[in-house]
Amino acid sequence: MIRKNLIHVILLGLAGWSFLTNTVSAQDYYVYVAAESDDEVALLRFDGTNLEVVKTIEVGTWPNEIEGPHGLNVSPDGEFWYLSIAHGFPYGKVVKYKTGSDELVQEVEVGLFPATIAISEATGFLYVVNFNLHGRMTEESSVSVIETETMTEIERIPQGIMPHGSRMSPDGLMHYSASMMTGELVEIDAITLEVVRRLKTGSDPEGPNPKPTWVTPHPTKPLVFVANNAANQIAVVDLEKWEIVDHYETNKGPYNLDITPDGKLLIVSYKGAASTGVWDLEKGEELALIPNSRAVTHGVAVTPDGRYAFVSAEGVGGEPGAVDVIDLSTKELVASVDVGKQAGGIIFWKMTE
Amino acid sequence: MHSFISRHSPSVLIFMVLLTPLAVSAQDATISIVVDRTEITLNVNQTTRLSAKVLDASGRETDIQTRFYSRSRTSVAVSRDGEVKALKSGTYSIFVRASSPEGQRITEEIRVDVLYPPIESVTFTSAPEQVYVGTRVPLNPEVRDVSGQLRDDVDVHISIDNPSVATVDAFGHIVAHETGSVTITGQAEEATSYVIITVIPNPITDLNLSGGALEARTGDVIQYSAVARNAEGEPVQDAPVRYAVYAQPDDDLGASASAQIDQDGRFVAETPGLYTIVASTGKLSTESSIRITPRDAARQIELVGKGIVSDVHTSDLWVWEGVDGRDYAVTGTWRANGEAYFWDVTNPASPTIIDTVAVDARTVNDVKVSEDGSVCVISREGASNRRNGLVILNCTDPHNVTTYATYDEDLTGGVHNIFIYDHHIYALSAGRRYDIISIEDPTNPHLVGSFELESVGHSIHDVWVVDGIAYSSNWGDGVYMVDVGNGVEGGSPSNPVVIGHYVYPSGWNHAAIPYRSKDTGKFYVIAADEVSINGKMGGWVHFVDFTDPKNPKEVARYEVPEAGSHNLWIDGDRLYIAYYQGGLRVVDISGDLMGDLYKQGREVAHYFSNDANGHVPNAAMAWGPQVFKGNVFFSDMNSGLWIVKVQGDAVPDSAL
Repeated sequence: MIRKNLIHVILLGLAGWSFLTNTVSAQDYYVYVAAESDDEVALLRFDGTNLEVVKTIEVGTWPNEIEGPHGLNVSPDGEFWYLSIAHGFPYGKVVKYKTGSDELVQEVEVGLFPATIAISEATGFLYVVNFNLHGRMTEESSVSVIETETMTEIERIPQGIMPHGSRMSPDGLMHYSASMMTGELVEIDAITLEVVRRLKTGSDPEGPNPKPTWVTPHPTKPLVFVANNAANQIAVVDLEKWEIVDHYETNKGPYNLDITPDGKLLIVSYKGAASTGVWDLEKGEELALIPNSRAVTHGVAVTPDGRYAFVSAEGVGGEPGAVDVIDLSTKELVASVDVGKQAGGIIFWKMTE
Repeated sequence: MHSFISRHSPSVLIFMVLLTPLAVSAQDATISIVVDRTEITLNVNQTTRLSAKVLDASGRETDIQTRFYSRSRTSVAVSRDGEVKALKSGTYSIFVRASSPEGQRITEEIRVDVLYPPIESVTFTSAPEQVYVGTRVPLNPEVRDVSGQLRDDVDVHISIDNPSVATVDAFGHIVAHETGSVTITGQAEEATSYVIITVIPNPITDLNLSGGALEARTGDVIQYSAVARNAEGEPVQDAPVRYAVYAQPDDDLGASASAQIDQDGRFVAETPGLYTIVASTGKLSTESSIRITPRDAARQIELVGKGIVSDVHTSDLWVWEGVDGRDYAVTGTWRANGEAYFWDVTNPASPTIIDTVAVDARTVNDVKVSEDGSVCVISREGASNRRNGLVILNCTDPHNVTTYATYDEDLTGGVHNIFIYDHHIYALSAGRRYDIISIEDPTNPHLVGSFELESVGHSIHDVWVVDGIAYSSNWGDGVYMVDVGNGVEGGSPSNPVVIGHYVYPSGWNHAAIPYRSKDTGKFYVIAADEVSINGKMGGWVHFVDFTDPKNPKEVARYEVPEAGSHNLWIDGDRLYIAYYQGGLRVVDISGDLMGDLYKQGREVAHYFSNDANGHVPNAAMAWGPQVFKGNVFFSDMNSGLWIVKVQGDAVPDSAL
């Protein structure tokens, strides 16, 4: 079994090397996106030119209530996708589906309004922030930790008020998220499941709450980037010093973030500006600002080859949501497709050729 | 070639490619976890420490760390280093996990049995000191453990020392045979209790059954009263009397059980036929028969008009007489575009949309209008800026509705349901509580009070206010009656005070509305379920007798098989139910209520709101009803606004 896995890893490594060196080969990219106000998840395929909805999967179990699918993630082996369902009575849940067939495998109740999902390759656990959008904005919430083989909630870690933007360190040993209403970056040990460190993310610790909404670690450097949504900033946090070492002044409402695997580009969704920013992390400069096809830009997922960013855009009212594809080499929007209303959580699944 | 790469792979791939030669030898090594115990047994609150070590392929201990986790953390807690504490009785699982430097992840499970606390007592809760020869009395043993919890999972062995005087049957009744004294022993585990019962001569010489009737209809609750007397003709007050019924239904072609009698003597039948009520005590019994006829409740129902909404789903409605004397309705939209439609329904045969209000939302789930017809409030869910809350509208002129104010303080997560009562809005904050907002000045709404339960995992779905009492529907916490100005408990909008509450086991409580029966004086809260069963709406309507609000009792139900209850309205002695795929249902709730009103033929009418041009064609999905000026208005999720009228003419039997 171990030997088989090793061979698989070598093959994956070679395949990955191929992706990195042969950028002209034809690829199909598959992405899942959740439509929060339509209780559905769409599977999209992009062939480098055309973006299409391959399948729409109805989610939730109450046909006459809106249950609010929000966060998505895919297991490291690509075999399963996980979805947070925000609304419950009162608790939300995380649901496990098989990729490809999209059959429901199992679900587990978690905290109030679960949102962003992270999965650690190192621990095998899933971490979901309980955003508690419904509560008074003074109530402390938590991060639920789920053992994914049996879908059992093994811990609920108190974190802060309205935690959001769950992401793992590259080695899978640390979990980072932002507490929106306490204005903090929170680091959790992914194994001990304890909060290790907290850091105010505003440029002025005594100033107004910057309302951080997302955290994304750098793939190779000891840095995390925090979207200070209300302050229109990206805070750059040095993990070794545990201090903010830079602030990027941004467009209105930076919301979700992702970084290209080479660590060179930071992709920022501007929820308040209906656009997506592409930042050069070495220069700390915004290279491009690309308008999105709907008014409320939401999530970002960068492909493993670093060629494209898939961006979800919610729309307003009865408008459908949309997913836009941005070519990160030309910094242009190259494809778009309509999906369900309030398109939010988005995650890359796989590449095929 | 068909290749595959996972989301997180590129950086890992570079790493793996570089390390491949090292990875080969490392991954060949298999590690394993050895735990000192794989099964442990604890008492509640007892602690123990587990230890584990990781061995390499050759069985040598490594320095790889292990970590423990509980699969039932609220029942058995474990620290990462293996300190276990039992919190709740039952069988649970802990697992210990380790990962090799090469990423091999291994897990071992530990079974944890947490013993139930020992039994402390057995009590015969209904054992009398004396019983009469020839009678049978329940003993009702009650078992408690040392933690004080009632236990129904423990066998109780009952023995009796003098079986010629009395015996105990298989169901825990003492059966008295002759005079004498017996000691009854109850044993559960190690706990034992005794009760001494004296069997005395039976003085009862006569049993008389009064009340009842010669004839009644299905669904009529008929009271019987059996009185036992001694030889002197005096009532024997403590005589144990049992009631039973046997039936000869008119339809004897495989008919099911068709009637019931409560042990307080109340009888009700579901189907026509001849029924005989039997009262017995000891060896005496007496009977009385009653002819049950069809209730004849069914009435014709006719379509008056409809306003089909084809492009979106419809939600709730409200109908009112405008300040100009004309009649209007407002309907919301669901999973749609944030619109609310204002209708002129003065001519109910031709409802006409006269204005549309669009707000930033996907769902306008609820719509309500103030008593004077000047203020309309609509709720918002799915706002693009996630600040949902309420929109307060000036509907003095429903042709030109304008906005007084928006209000979203602490309501940003979405408002599902609202009610207006006496210049206040009762607004649900996304399923946790209701806030009470003054709109005495509708341009300046402000919070004056709030009501939220304190139970773990509490949740709320709806609130309805009548006579200063708010009736909230709280899913698993059931129905709450709260004084918000009635005065019975000194409550007010700024100081809501609980009057009473009732929980039913399913946890499906979705809507509630009060009803006082003019016939009986009884006060009910009628509660409707909402539930999805395998993706299809289900549930029924519960009738809870709240005459004594401190001791409510569920007495009846109305359950349409294979459909799902939703919203309610009461007018006179009729209940109007939007029964989702079961359409509109009209039910006769006059008189005393007991049993299943659906099976008793109390349904007055039903109407399936199917329309070929509906948003979902030909698929009734009734949402909410309202009786207004003799017509029944109701909204249908799939097709819009409907107006029907229940006629006075009975439906001929042949049509049923």
